[in-house]
Amino acid sequence: MKKKGLWIALAIVFVVIVILIGAFSSKYNKFVDMQESVESAQSDVSIYLQRRADLIPNFVETVKAYSLHEQETYTAVTEARSAVTKADSVEEQAQASARLDSAIDIWVNAVTEAYPELKADAQYIALQDELAGSENRIATARNDYNKTAKEYNSAIRKFPSNIVASMFGFEKADYFEADNDAQDVPTVDFS
Amino acid sequence: MLCACVCVALLLSLCACGSDEQGYPEATEKFFVNDFAGVITDTDSDTIYTKGVALNDATTAQAVVVTVDSLEGETASDYALNIGREWGVGTEQDDNGVVILLSVEDREIYIAVGYGLEGALPDSKTGRIIDNYGISHFSDDNFSAGLVNIYNAIVNEIYIEYGMQPSENYIPADLLPDTQDDVESLGTVVISWLVLMVLVVVYVLIFGRRGGLFIFGSPRFFAGNYHHHSGGFGGSFGGGGFGGFRGGGGSFGGGGAGRKF
Repeated sequence: MKKKGLWIALAIVFVVIVILIGAFSSKYNKFVDMQESVESAQSDVSIYLQRRADLIPNFVETVKAYSLHEQETYTAVTEARSAVTKADSVEEQAQASARLDSAIDIWVNAVTEAYPELKADAQYIALQDELAGSENRIATARNDYNKTAKEYNSAIRKFPSNIVASMFGFEKADYFEADNDAQDVPTVDFS
Repeated sequence: MLCACVCVALLLSLCACGSDEQGYPEATEKFFVNDFAGVITDTDSDTIYTKGVALNDATTAQAVVVTVDSLEGETASDYALNIGREWGVGTEQDDNGVVILLSVEDREIYIAVGYGLEGALPDSKTGRIIDNYGISHFSDDNFSAGLVNIYNAIVNEIYIEYGMQPSENYIPADLLPDTQDDVESLGTVVISWLVLMVLVVVYVLIFGRRGGLFIFGSPRFFAGNYHHHSGGFGGSFGGGGFGGFRGGGGSFGGGGAGRKF
């Protein structure tokens, strides 16, 4: 009788362990998937940041014809641009691209103020549209990244999932800080 | 037992995830025309719808027009993008949707282009289409005509992308001359019009009045013609008994262009 009780106890423990392993591994796999989505969302952001960085030389060529005197403001653009390319972490990238945004704004403003006829240049308008579109894509990719990161972060921090997450070292994903300036898409105004 | 119940309840509550989406209007029955601001004439609305259906049938691409009174503080690009995603404009496989959004109060237009059509409609071309076909009408508050012209251009660019014949008389946006005349000096405008006139006269003298693709010209010149030719596609859809069209799950990534007017 005693022996039978022991077997039952052992069986229960065994079943519990199996259930726990099942639960753990399904959680674990879910976190891996989510982490992958976060990473792919982050690489989308990087792709679009790069896309914009690549557009800038074309833009510069067009504007150069008008402005050889705007060197100072332009230097800030090249510096910010190389900082974006060099950034590794989400945070660094966010900071660098925010700097690039404002550098471009300042430069473009300086140039168009000095050379109003630039605004009528078809090439300039086309590039302006491409740049605005690029910024739009970056903003969208950032939002999408933040959404994915938020899902992932709240999944790994909630009880009881957080036990699994901390056991296997799933770390919280960084957010892109909402930089409102950077999200304003410049539109070409003809009014 | 109580403990188990609590555990189950806890686990269940973990699965519940909140949604913080802003409410956008639902697509209308006509799907390709969603005139919430009431600025599109019946004729133009039918034209757009017919072209939208024909495009959808021929290519699976979807182009929808949305007019709203106000963007309620949102940027036009976000609004158009979110409408596109929420309605799933375009197919899920190809993401070949376009949303043409016009806000009357904000006096702003934005064309959002789905991932799959970014090649056919890069941002610069989209901006150019607005400049060439829409802006002059929008400035005169003639929203309906501007939207029909833009829609026609977008639809034709998509046909070209899919290797199909665009409608008669359509000149690809790439080949159009620029119309930035509002910043040009009066002299240039007059001269270019004179040159244009001469070219037209020569053209007519050489080729007579019939046939031929009209290559020289400014889009303004064509604006009047747009009402006269009707698409060249489809047109077999009679009125009434619409419905059946909705989004195919297409997604958008922020491509497109916009203007204030």
